[in-house]
Amino acid sequence: MVDVHLKGIVKRFGKTIAVNGIDLDIRDGEFIVLLGPSGCGKTTTLRIIAGLEKPDEGRVLFGDRDVTYLPPRERNVSMVFQSYAIWPHMKVYDNIAFPLKIKKFPKEEIDKRVKWAAELLQISELLDRYPHQLSGGQRQRVAVARAIVVEPDVLLMDEPLSNLDALLRVKMRSELKKLQRRIKVTTIYVTHDQVEAMTMGDRIAVMNKGKIQQVGRPDEIYLKPANVFVAGFVGTPQMNFFDATVEVKDDEIILDASDFKVRLPKDYLPVLQEYNGKTVIVGIRPEHIYPEGHAPTTAKKLSWIEGTVDFVEALGSDTILHLNTGSMILVVKISGSHHYEIGSKVKVALDLSNIHVFDKESQVSLLYKKQREVQSS
Amino acid sequence: MARRRGKLLLKYIIINIVVWSIAIIWTLPFIGVAMTSVKPFSEVVVHGWWSFIGNYTLKNFIDAWSNPMYSVAIGYRNSFIVTIPATIAPLFIAALAAYVFSRFSFPLKTLLFIVLLVIMAMPQQMSVIPLFFMLNSMGLYDKLQGLILVHTAWGLAWMTFFLKNFFDALPREIEEAARVDGAGDAQIFFKIVLPMSMPAIASVAAIQFTWVWSDFFYALMFLVNPDNYVVTLQVASMKGQYHIDWGLLSAGSIMAMSVPLLLYALLQKYYVRGMVGWTLKG
Repeated sequence: MVDVHLKGIVKRFGKTIAVNGIDLDIRDGEFIVLLGPSGCGKTTTLRIIAGLEKPDEGRVLFGDRDVTYLPPRERNVSMVFQSYAIWPHMKVYDNIAFPLKIKKFPKEEIDKRVKWAAELLQISELLDRYPHQLSGGQRQRVAVARAIVVEPDVLLMDEPLSNLDALLRVKMRSELKKLQRRIKVTTIYVTHDQVEAMTMGDRIAVMNKGKIQQVGRPDEIYLKPANVFVAGFVGTPQMNFFDATVEVKDDEIILDASDFKVRLPKDYLPVLQEYNGKTVIVGIRPEHIYPEGHAPTTAKKLSWIEGTVDFVEALGSDTILHLNTGSMILVVKISGSHHYEIGSKVKVALDLSNIHVFDKESQVSLLYKKQREVQSS
Repeated sequence: MARRRGKLLLKYIIINIVVWSIAIIWTLPFIGVAMTSVKPFSEVVVHGWWSFIGNYTLKNFIDAWSNPMYSVAIGYRNSFIVTIPATIAPLFIAALAAYVFSRFSFPLKTLLFIVLLVIMAMPQQMSVIPLFFMLNSMGLYDKLQGLILVHTAWGLAWMTFFLKNFFDALPREIEEAARVDGAGDAQIFFKIVLPMSMPAIASVAAIQFTWVWSDFFYALMFLVNPDNYVVTLQVASMKGQYHIDWGLLSAGSIMAMSVPLLLYALLQKYYVRGMVGWTLKG
């Protein structure tokens, strides 16, 4: 096990910049998730850590050791690929034993370790089978067993669950997480699935356009998104965004969103004072908008608006309302199953303690920006 | 509904008639050769090969095998001596070359590949005179080694092209997984890529083997001594100037073609495995 440090990593493919100056410190034994949409550079970053790609700029450090230009075999890393990449001409045993044979481990040690890994992944009875005789989930376990059998310093996983069906994915999520806790290996996990990231990661690094947008614990990422991208990417249904003009009057802040006005508590004053008269982006998650009678008793700072029901998604466990407020559609998530008529008027309350305000130009969260300013001063 | 069913039935009947007609036309010569080979010469001449009545014999096969002038036995020996190395050697070299073309970047790569394609498009007849002079100067004219060399060189181009296309289609992750696990280029090639390419290797080997085994043109050009004749030359030489023993010729032909047929049958499992088992989807 080892801590991993990425220092100013840049990777270009022709004119395309895949990774654009990434700095990231990953702690020893940590499970960190690189989360982002397709083409954001997360897999390229992982491949740079594995040694499968050389960065154009920057350094990769394992502890104090600079491994930037070392080939994969000198890094003691293991990788689980999206397609599992298990070799179809080898039996499961030989697949798992391969890295040990390459590293010239004694035969008894190979046998001992293969059996240990197989037992850990509950595939002991499959050792004598060929990969084409296995299900998707079993192949995935073989790939993980092969990755952990060498007891790597760093375990890299590139969307390993994306080829599994929904039920198996949920099961494997928890199993992988438990396994990582058990063997305590530093793990870097790439996914575009925010649920996977939220449930598995000790920390999440959200990426977009080759850059890290925010690094933090899952709850931090969700509750205190650094910018519009993170706020919109994490969370289902997506956060509601609307433009509003800031009006500061006698220590009172009003966000004028043309259809309605929101009166913010004084807590926002230090952050929004300098934005008086300017347009900002306001964000609020669907579960922080409450229809009449659904507001939790703990929610004290509420601002009421009215809308017309445009569309209803009855999910059973939740009901998703699409409310037309005039010039925008607000998505509201209500716990439980509820009936609403299309076209009916519904009053909803915005939970002001969970409102997010972003700079219109930079799209950075003003609360996050303020926190950073306070921290740096 | 009934009209639709009638239409489907008519379509089914027409397709069957067409397919069976083509199959019968295609197999007719083979049936003719097979029948001629197991019937006495006198009966073939009198009744024709299509007559099922009369006697059946293996004499033609025995005579063709141990013919004192041109025997299939000697032809087999020479053909094996030529075909086996002329299949294995270019296969090995082409596999390495194809992998390099598929995976590595080097100067003049595109130009070299174009040269390869040009060689593939060149007719054999064009190369005979320079090859004759070359083999003669090397002391390999009328030698089986010379023929091995010619077939090896001739097979390299298309085999490299064929295998490169196959390697291009192999998922890179399969190799990268081995690289992360600590394998070097040679280990990746021999332990991962080559075993995974068995369907392609088997196909290439079968085609090249059949090509070399069935070759008549180069053998006729570069072999003079009947002791060096490969099986195709031996069988062709069984045809006398004034008398043609059709039974002998047919038996010799069947024995000559039986080896590639057997090879196809033996390698078939690799093609099947290639289709269903070895290509893993994630």
